[in-house]
Amino acid sequence: MSVKVEASHDGIPHNKVMAIGAVISLVSLYIAIIGTVIGVDYLAFFGGIAAVGALIWGNSTIKKLCSYGIGTGVPSAGMLAFGSGLIALLFASALAGFSIWIVPVAALVIALIVGLFLGWISNSVLNMKIPVMTRSIAELAAVGALALMGLGVVATGTVSFTGIATIEILGVSVYNASYLGAGVIAVSFMLGAIALQHPFNACLGPGEKQDRTNMLAIECGFLSMIIMAVISFVFVSLAAAWISFVVAIIGWAVSYVKYVALSKRDAAAWLDAKPFSDKEE
Amino acid sequence: MQEIIIGIGVTALAGALAAVAGAAEDTESNIGSQGDPNSQVQLAPQMGYTHRIYNKAVSGEPPAYTLWVTLACGVAWAFLMLGVNAILAIIFGTVLATFVQGVYATTAYLGRTASLSKFGQPVFIDVVKSVTTVTMAHAFVAIFATVTVCYLMMTVIGHPFALPLLGIVWGLALGAAGSATGNPYYGKERQYQNQKFGAGVPISASGNIVRYAEAGQRSSIDNGFFTAKFGGPASGICFGLIVFFELWRTIIFEDFLAGWGAVIVGALIIVVFMIIDRYVEVWARKNYGPYTVEA
Repeated sequence: MSVKVEASHDGIPHNKVMAIGAVISLVSLYIAIIGTVIGVDYLAFFGGIAAVGALIWGNSTIKKLCSYGIGTGVPSAGMLAFGSGLIALLFASALAGFSIWIVPVAALVIALIVGLFLGWISNSVLNMKIPVMTRSIAELAAVGALALMGLGVVATGTVSFTGIATIEILGVSVYNASYLGAGVIAVSFMLGAIALQHPFNACLGPGEKQDRTNMLAIECGFLSMIIMAVISFVFVSLAAAWISFVVAIIGWAVSYVKYVALSKRDAAAWLDAKPFSDKEE
Repeated sequence: MQEIIIGIGVTALAGALAAVAGAAEDTESNIGSQGDPNSQVQLAPQMGYTHRIYNKAVSGEPPAYTLWVTLACGVAWAFLMLGVNAILAIIFGTVLATFVQGVYATTAYLGRTASLSKFGQPVFIDVVKSVTTVTMAHAFVAIFATVTVCYLMMTVIGHPFALPLLGIVWGLALGAAGSATGNPYYGKERQYQNQKFGAGVPISASGNIVRYAEAGQRSSIDNGFFTAKFGGPASGICFGLIVFFELWRTIIFEDFLAGWGAVIVGALIIVVFMIIDRYVEVWARKNYGPYTVEA
């Protein structure tokens, strides 16, 4: 049985952060899908916004889960989230053959089911007995699926399985050079998994503040989006790739500057090449 | 025959590149205190020891290097698809990966240090400026060499995996080699010079890390000087041997027993290394340990 240790008092309760993150993520994915349906791909950058929304939610979940003292488990939580989210993503994207509109919601639901199952195994079968474990792992799986889908949309402009598993080269459908076939999804996986665990891992300590950690989550999301935007030059039109790239750069730069300012606000002192003195001396 | 000769040449080249990558990786992570001494770096201010050591906690080295190498491979693949020259594509990928590494390093340092404000640990901007650039330079070398190994495997040897997937495999292997081999040669010995050799870290000495040095107050940039002599080469040999033996056994023995030849030779190599490891362990115990009471 683990004992709960409060990391910091939050201004915004977890459920509210979760709702905000989920809404940002789903709405952005649907805006991107509208683009696919009307046949333009320059709305692909909304995938990056979806990933940012999912990361804000996931970061709050990790903070809640890790208040039960699983310090070294923070990076593992990111990997677990994206591993289980990947199953949901592939399953849901295959449903696009039925209707593209159900893909984001289907990914969310399937991920929650996969996560609940994994959470139940870790809590009851492996006997970890952390009260929020089952719910947190279900949430993390959903976050993983949404963030992975968002980064995939930035790269390919679509959420359908045919869109991510094939690419048209000289009029021929090729699997080997597609988002899945060339393993680009591995890049999304790693970018997302590290971005998910980094904000809380980097800000942990008695002086952790919710707004600073959230700002870092936003920064990590846009940083991941920069890379996907560069890769997207292969898959989407030149205009769409440039829009994603510029949006990502601006989003990253603004959030990075704000994060540095918040760190300066919270730091004990901000010294440039000055010697330190010991407290006890 | 010519194929085998080219294969052996590539194997040797890949092994050499991997040795460089391993040495640079370990130096990078030790300058940034990303390896296992990081928990002590985090703990030190709480025990009253403010310090100037870089506190870079992106994650464990294996996941972190998996990210840098995978994304460099992914970006390199994208530029190759766009028709860019291979060397330039690898460089573009590595530059972007190094940029991401630098951003993660600074946010980790600022975040963790700011969260320790209660204990009076200041944020040292000069440490951020000097140490981050040095770790980025080492990360560039490590990532570039590893992505080149992946590219050689894909093009010359014809590995069936796509470039980003090779990146995931070899990035993870690189981080694991640096973490498992490099750190025992460095961290505790350099950072805990206040402690008697072999004493481990008793609870009473938690956070009592080395904070002063001959040239003013120390930043962890000097750990590079120490690591470059011991931990770096050890990691380099480790990762170089992993890459070399992996390719060598495949190229030479893949045609035997329908592919099983390479598997059997792989198992034999593991057995030989287990025997060598056991011998070294017993030899080291006889000569340096156990830590008995002094006569």
